Amino acid sequence: MAKTTKLTLTEWDTLHNNGPFPLKLLYKTKLESPALMPSDLDRYNDAAQEIQSLITEAKNKNEGFRAYGSAWSMSKIAHQKERMHFNAHMNTYFSFRNQDLHALSGYQAENLFLFQCGNVVKEISEKLAGHGKSLKASGASNGQTIAGCISTGVHGSAINVGSVQDYVVGLNLIIGPNPGDIVYLERHSKPALNDVFVQKLRSRVIRNDGLFNAALVGLGSFGFIHGVVIEAQNLFLLKRYVKELKKDKAIELAQQQNFKTFDGIPEEVKGNGEANIPYHFKVFVNQYKDNGKYVVEFMYKKPYKLNYPDPFPVIKKSLYRDLINLVVQIGSGIPASIPVFINLLKNSILPTVDEVSTGTLAETFWDAPYQGPAFAISFGVSHTDAEKALKILSKVSIDEGPVPGIFAMRFIKKSDATLSFARFPTTCMIEIDGVRWNEKKNLITLNDLSKKMIEALQQANIPFTLHWGKNADWKFSGLVDHMYGADATTWRKYRCSLLSGDMQTLFSNAFLKEVKLDKKEPSDPQLIQSLL
Amino acid sequence: MKFKKYLIPLLVLAFLVLLLFQSCYSVRLVSTVGTPEPAVPHVRDDYYRPYEVTELDTVITIGVADKDFSYLIKSTDLCPSGKLHTVEYRNTFGALLLSAVTFGRKRKVKIKYVCMKD
Repeated sequence: MAKTTKLTLTEWDTLHNNGPFPLKLLYKTKLESPALMPSDLDRYNDAAQEIQSLITEAKNKNEGFRAYGSAWSMSKIAHQKERMHFNAHMNTYFSFRNQDLHALSGYQAENLFLFQCGNVVKEISEKLAGHGKSLKASGASNGQTIAGCISTGVHGSAINVGSVQDYVVGLNLIIGPNPGDIVYLERHSKPALNDVFVQKLRSRVIRNDGLFNAALVGLGSFGFIHGVVIEAQNLFLLKRYVKELKKDKAIELAQQQNFKTFDGIPEEVKGNGEANIPYHFKVFVNQYKDNGKYVVEFMYKKPYKLNYPDPFPVIKKSLYRDLINLVVQIGSGIPASIPVFINLLKNSILPTVDEVSTGTLAETFWDAPYQGPAFAISFGVSHTDAEKALKILSKVSIDEGPVPGIFAMRFIKKSDATLSFARFPTTCMIEIDGVRWNEKKNLITLNDLSKKMIEALQQANIPFTLHWGKNADWKFSGLVDHMYGADATTWRKYRCSLLSGDMQTLFSNAFLKEVKLDKKEPSDPQLIQSLL
Repeated sequence: MKFKKYLIPLLVLAFLVLLLFQSCYSVRLVSTVGTPEPAVPHVRDDYYRPYEVTELDTVITIGVADKDFSYLIKSTDLCPSGKLHTVEYRNTFGALLLSAVTFGRKRKVKIKYVCMKD
C-alpha cells in the first residue's frame, strides 16, 4: 500500500518565501515499493485509492484538501489552510503501444506518455530522453511538478508551441471519495487513449472538449490531478544566442514578430535571405537604465545529434546571499539606491551578451538555485500591445517604486485552456521579477504595486491577464471577470457540473474565493457528457 | 607585572588562533543529471531550501594501519534512493590541524549531501 505520512503543522510556505500561510495538516504520500508491488499500474491505482481515503478523511472533518508539488507558485494558489497534500513522490509513468490508442486517435503511440502528478519537469525530461523524446516546452527552469505546471499555466517563450498545458492530451482526475469518482478526461475532437486502457486506470472516460479545456488550467480546484497524458516529440537541440539590440528593433520584433526579416544573427539567415523563425524569443528590460539597447535572447530549434558542445560551465557561481540581503536592506531604507545596485549587479542578473550555447530543452532550461525570498508579477497582453504595456508598467514601477526587480518579455502561442492567461493569438508575458523587500520601510508594498499596474492597464484600455502562479492584487475588484469575461463563468459551470457540491468546497481555497471562481453555478449534466 | 604586560597581546593572539581554526571554505559538487530529493515542507533558508539535505559533522578515527576510509551513503528517509546528487564538504584549518597532530588518525568530516529523487 502507498504510505502517507501526516505532519501536524501551524504554517506552510512557498519555495520563494511568499508566506507563511496557516496550515493544520500536511500529508505526503509515497508509492508502495516496487519490490512489494512490481507493477507500475498497480502502484498507480493503489495511490489513487490512498488519495481517495485522504479525501474521505478531509470530507468527514468538513475540511479542505489541496494537492501541491514543488511549491514554486508565488501566489497562494497552492495553499489550503486545513489539509495540503505533497505529491512529488507520486512519480511513476507509462508509455503506450498502438493497442492502447483510441481508434480515432491521430497521435503516435511512441509520443504519448502518462506521468503521475508528482513528476517534476527535470525527471520527466530524463525519462523522456530514455525514449529519445523531449517535452515540447517548459518554463524557464525545471523544478515544477507536471500537475503544478498545468494547474497554473507554466510557460516559457516558445512562440509557436505554447505553454505546458498545450501538449497535454489527457487528464486523470480524482474528484471524490467514491469508486466512480476517478475520471479520465480528453478532447472528443482529439481522442488519445482507448477505453480498455482507461479501465485499467479504474476510471470512467469523458471525452468532451469543453470540459477538458476547462479542467486543463484547473487552478488546483478541479479535483486531484493524478495523472497527465502528454504528447512528447523527438529530442531536439536549441541553439541559443544572446544579443544586444537597439530598443526600437527589439520592440519591433516583439510587436510584429517579423523574424523572417531579422538579419541580426547571420548564422540563422537562409540562402534566400529569409531568416529562421526562433523557437524562443525573450527581451530583458532594465527599466532603470536607458542606454537605448535591450539584451535579447533567441533560441533556434535544431535536429538532435550527439557530440554537440557541452552547454554547462564547469563552475557555476551565484551571488553572495548576504550581499543581496544587504542591497535590499539599504534599498528599503534609501529607495534611490535600488537602480544603482541593479546597474551594478546587471552582469549577474542579465545573460552575457554574444553568448552562444547549444543544448537540449532540458539542458537549456536547467536548474534554478534558490536565491532567497523572491517576487514576480506577470501580465499577459497581446503582442501588438507589448510596447505600450511595457511603457505603462515600467512607468508604474519607476514612479511608484523603485523596487528591486527588472522586466522581461516572453511570448506564447494561444492556449485552448479556458482560463489560460495565454489568451491572445500571441501573448506577450511582461514580467517584473526580483527579490522581496521590506514592505514596512519606505517602499511601496508588492500588493499596491500590482494594484497600480492593474489600474494603469485598465485606464489605457489594454486587455490583459495575470499569471496564476505569480504575485498580484488578486482581490482587485472584478479582476477575473475583467480578464476572462464569459470564460470565467464557463469555467465555473464545468467545475460545478463535474464536482459534487461538497467536493467543490473541499477542493476550494482562499485564492479561489478571492478571485470569485468558487461561486456556485447550476450543475448541468450535458456539460460532462462524453461526446465520443 | 610581566604577565599583565603580555595579557592583552596573548588574548588577541588566542582570538586570532581561534578564528584561524574556524577559517574555512566549502566546495559543492552538483550532478548535472538526476533530480534532487525534494524537501517537505520547506524550512531552510539557504541553498538547500528546496532539497532534503543530510548534514554530517563528525570525526572519523582510523587505525594506524588504515590508509583511508569510505563513508557509505545508505538509503534512508532523507535519502531514499541512496544515490548522490549534491555533496558539499567544508575544510577548516582546525580539521587540517587535527589530522596533522594525530598523524591522520582523526579526520574531521563536515559534509552536506542531497540524494537523487527515488
